[in-house]
Amino acid sequence: MIERSLNGIRIVDLSMGWAGPLAARQLADMGADVIKVESCERFDWWRSWEATPEWIDDEGAEKSSAFNMVNRNKRAITLDLEDTDGRDLLLRLVRTANAVVENFSGGVLPKLNLGYETFKRVNEKIILLSMPAFGSTGPWRNFRAYGSTVEQASGLPHLNGLAQDPPTMHHVAYGDAVGGLNGAAALLVALRHQARRGEGQFVDLSQVEALFPLAAHGIMHYSATRSEVPRTGNQTAGAAPHGVYACAGDDEWIVIQIFNDEQWQALRQQATPYLDVITDRFAQGEALDRAISDWTENQVSHQLMRALQAKHIPAAATHKASTLLNDEHLQARGYWQWMNRAVVGNQPNPTAPFRAGDVAVELTSPAPTLGEHNREVLVEELGLSEQEFTRLLSRGVIGNRPRMPSRKR
Amino acid sequence: MSQALADILVLDVSGTVSTTYCAKLFADYGATVVNLEPEEGFPTRELAPLIENAACTSAMHAYLNANKQSVRRDLLSDEEFSRLISQADLVLNDGGAEALTDASLSMSITWYGEDGPYADFVGADAQCFALNGMLRTIGHAEGPPLIPTGYQAQIVGGTTAFIGAMGQVLARELTPSSVPLHLQTSIFEAMLCFTEVGVITAYNTGLEGHRLGINRFPPTYPLGVFPCRDGWIGLTVLTPSQWHAFCELLDMSEFSAVDLFQSSVGRLEAVDLIEPVICEKLLNFSAEDLFYRAQNAAVPLARVPTMEELFQVDQFVQRNAFAAVDVGNGKSLQMPTIPFRLFSTPPKLGGAVAPLGADTQDYKS
Repeated sequence: MIERSLNGIRIVDLSMGWAGPLAARQLADMGADVIKVESCERFDWWRSWEATPEWIDDEGAEKSSAFNMVNRNKRAITLDLEDTDGRDLLLRLVRTANAVVENFSGGVLPKLNLGYETFKRVNEKIILLSMPAFGSTGPWRNFRAYGSTVEQASGLPHLNGLAQDPPTMHHVAYGDAVGGLNGAAALLVALRHQARRGEGQFVDLSQVEALFPLAAHGIMHYSATRSEVPRTGNQTAGAAPHGVYACAGDDEWIVIQIFNDEQWQALRQQATPYLDVITDRFAQGEALDRAISDWTENQVSHQLMRALQAKHIPAAATHKASTLLNDEHLQARGYWQWMNRAVVGNQPNPTAPFRAGDVAVELTSPAPTLGEHNREVLVEELGLSEQEFTRLLSRGVIGNRPRMPSRKR
Repeated sequence: MSQALADILVLDVSGTVSTTYCAKLFADYGATVVNLEPEEGFPTRELAPLIENAACTSAMHAYLNANKQSVRRDLLSDEEFSRLISQADLVLNDGGAEALTDASLSMSITWYGEDGPYADFVGADAQCFALNGMLRTIGHAEGPPLIPTGYQAQIVGGTTAFIGAMGQVLARELTPSSVPLHLQTSIFEAMLCFTEVGVITAYNTGLEGHRLGINRFPPTYPLGVFPCRDGWIGLTVLTPSQWHAFCELLDMSEFSAVDLFQSSVGRLEAVDLIEPVICEKLLNFSAEDLFYRAQNAAVPLARVPTMEELFQVDQFVQRNAFAAVDVGNGKSLQMPTIPFRLFSTPPKLGGAVAPLGADTQDYKS
């Protein structure tokens, strides 16, 4: 039922990469009609940021796992927004929509003579969610960033790692996913106001500021004490042991965190006799970590996790990308859903991260191919004539095959 | 104009970081949020960092709970409690024992979800980083992996739960319904948003992310946090044009046209060759100067501010990214404000945190 709950809401998704498409995906998963707009030349850069003619011939644009993962449940059209006809068609589409999402660098939409005021002229109730890295106001509003830049600019790396190392990142474009979640949250609040009051508005999301809540422990530490949080690696105040310990096999590890004496006694029992030498778990940090490592090094990480958790000891084995598909818990909860996608065949997809009762949200359609719904949206829904459709195709305003960008990206 | 969610009543019966953060997003947009706290208060009241000489002793609690009401659950009769539950638009809990059968819309936020083999596991933030596949990739190549600090997984869980719950609040505005609905969010699954791309890429290509060293990870190089003459900068050079502009910026023209360096993966393979030169060149620049020069050259580069510096960054100051929250005893602290701004119905910035049980009498019959 979640998958149909936003039926009737239409989102025009101009966003590219990870953050914006992930925001729109959350609403698509709940049944909103999300129409992704690219152009044959300015296609979503998550298809590739290094396109070549060979890549185009090899249908590379349809093979990006990242693109396909974040654009499921959407429809897709192509429009050259630098062309007058393409721009006009976008405005016709906006007239039928509840909201537009974009995550271009600041300044891109104005160059296309597009923006909230333009959209509002054709649709008084429209919502525009803009989610540039630093937000839509302030001196840095036009500055460029990727999800990694967003993390760097948030200060978060100063909270992770060891004092002797550089401030340490999360080794993924951390800001993108968090920006995407906040974009979805922002859209839903604005849509609810629109549904209740009939009013649209401009919504501004700073992806950098979206990481501040994740850095709140460090920000609040400074705010309360006027000092920086020391970077202590895997050690944390009040917990011992607290670390990541090698297990049997290549690069297999287990996290063990002991927060109270009850957990400590349970661990001692499990690890007998390795921990017998420890009389003060807080004072004997190095000896403690060594003893636990000696105990874990020949054990299978996931088996050990289950054994420790059976005794209510906080522990978790590390997964890698390839083993997550086989995780017994995710499988039991129907987390991965398989859909057949053009060009790449049967593919796993993560379901929505929330669900009603114990039923996983059912995914309805795989990511669309470039311009897959051009005819359906432009002719059947916006009323473009067949003659006009053909003319736009021949001019390259619409299409379903990428072209090499004529300007550098 | 009043805030967008001013007519909504949200109850939090658990007081975890996740439930309070989820409820905070409602409160920031004007919803009435009632914390139904036990006699000893919500667990968040004990969280580090702590504040000296304030009525509210936990800075995290103050951050998570500004502009909410506090009601002592033990001082309400069962009838008063049930009435409050039935009046609420949304009830949040951590999957605990108290039945929410009277709630028209409820959301549990638990570490692993309400069902499945891990449902009874004792959870923690670091575990989510281990199981979602991120932890293995962070740290020195020889290990051990480094645990990200703080309450990050719980905040992500709370944000995710907000999306799920807010989606249903909107759905009920579109199509009114009185049928009770219970939702659940698993923090572990919420944390898969960071690694789902890697999972599907690994499935299709067999390529697996490995731990390559501090701040060294696909898909490109240079990518990471580097020292300049007077501070840290963050750098991500991805496209060929960014590489050429970066080389020009650092006066490394000899690297600009090298065939191998035209691709992001090629540069990552040649990291040992490139890195010493970049690190040496960067020491010629002040971080602030390089930041503006790089952005003018369309290279995504940022300063990496310390917590102290965050509060002084002009961009954040001008946007009111931080605001004062009254923590009692005449004391207030600067805290992050909500990162998304509805221009016509703006959020609350700053506010005050309620002492335990301050609003109990308002809900007594």
